[in-house]
Amino acid sequence: MRAKPTLAVLLLSLLLCACKSPKQPNLGEPLADLSRAERAQFEEGKKVFERVFTPQDGLGPLFNANSCAQCHEAPVVGGVGDEIEIHATRFVAPNSCDPLFDQGGPVIQQNATPLLQAKGIMKEQIPPGATAQAHRSTPPLFGFGLVDAIPEATILSHEPRHGAKGEGIAGHANRTIDGRVGRFGRKAAVAALSDFNAGPPGTDPAPDPEITVEDIEKVTAFTRFLAPPPQQIFTNHTDLHLARRGRKLFAHLDCVVCHLPKMNTGPSTSKALHRKTLALYSDLMVHDMGSALADICLEQAHPSEFRTEMLMGLRFREQFLHDGSAKTVQEAIERHDGEARNSRDRFKALTEKDKQALLKFLETI
Amino acid sequence: MKMITWLWTMVVAGSLAAATQASEVDQLKSDLIGQCMGGREKCWKFQSVDQIKTLTIQKKTEDSQKRVYTIVLQLQAAKAGGKYSADARVEYTKAATGWKIKQVGLLSLKKVE
Repeated sequence: MRAKPTLAVLLLSLLLCACKSPKQPNLGEPLADLSRAERAQFEEGKKVFERVFTPQDGLGPLFNANSCAQCHEAPVVGGVGDEIEIHATRFVAPNSCDPLFDQGGPVIQQNATPLLQAKGIMKEQIPPGATAQAHRSTPPLFGFGLVDAIPEATILSHEPRHGAKGEGIAGHANRTIDGRVGRFGRKAAVAALSDFNAGPPGTDPAPDPEITVEDIEKVTAFTRFLAPPPQQIFTNHTDLHLARRGRKLFAHLDCVVCHLPKMNTGPSTSKALHRKTLALYSDLMVHDMGSALADICLEQAHPSEFRTEMLMGLRFREQFLHDGSAKTVQEAIERHDGEARNSRDRFKALTEKDKQALLKFLETI
Repeated sequence: MKMITWLWTMVVAGSLAAATQASEVDQLKSDLIGQCMGGREKCWKFQSVDQIKTLTIQKKTEDSQKRVYTIVLQLQAAKAGGKYSADARVEYTKAATGWKIKQVGLLSLKKVE
């Protein structure tokens, strides 16, 4: 007689287990739903990502770092680093941007191989034609495969939305030299993960890229299948309440107009990337952020225009803004200007408790 | 009579060489589709043959395992409209199924319009 209730409880437990959402991968782990072959590609790619390149492998003679993981290192491989890159381009108002390809391109290499150092060259010089230079911090790469899988049309669909919204927000998509919609890099001048991976670890008179197509594919597999950062779920009532209040304020202050909370990936041959929703908190478009932050132009992005920073994993960063010059999230918010001026001013006008609520919410994403 | 035969041979040989060059150029264009030339902010990803306005082979070296072309390209993006001139090094390796691209190296890239 007692068997029936026990069986019912057991069945109910099994049902609840089945309905429970899948466990979020930890930081640095691959996406859930990868096939066995994709998992193997991720592991193979991680090895290339961590491989230290030498001059014998084609590193240099000018370079920034000798491995991908040298910059993308914290708190796990694929994360952030304290290295700051220097970029330089030439801008001639109103719309002409020269990325100085004929002088080595916009990324200025800060190191040289021993052979070049022996000739007295310690690093690449800023090209004489450059009109501005910029500092760039290392972005974390978590979830970038899902960003890569967002269709161009989805990004472009937000352009008219901004126009209609008014309030001085008028972002636009950037485009690469070959006409594709950009999404990676602080100026959204890189369209795909594979493009970016073909770039480092060095530039010089030897042909770029210096790693083989096979190795580029491996590194791309690692970055493509690297899971987005897990969301922080507060268990104590105070933090939970504050974060909930902060989420509402984030929307109320119109931060969500540019830091779009979610975007969907398109069809993909990989189940792990196919039609997924990603909480990236960016519209992937470039917006005018005001003259105080302005540095270089890149493709169709003017010196004062920056791609809306993806806020996912913000709590794992130690420096903020595109150049790493803000030491706290609050400082970064308060230095927003241009199209973000209204939201910034409304943030500044919040009570201390509400400011803390908004910052607490940002710790969850 | 001998002179005419010699001239005729030269014309045929020249035509054959030109045809081979043309088929090699077409093959190169086709193989480049999907490849990224350069990297990061200076990657040209070949999306269609239409983007390659001209492709000229400047140099070719080959051994049993490796074939290397130095080429000059005139490129135009369909959407952005920018025209670029590029020098590149395309390296093939011999695979079981035939020649396969190993590396597309960008030597220089310049906006011309």
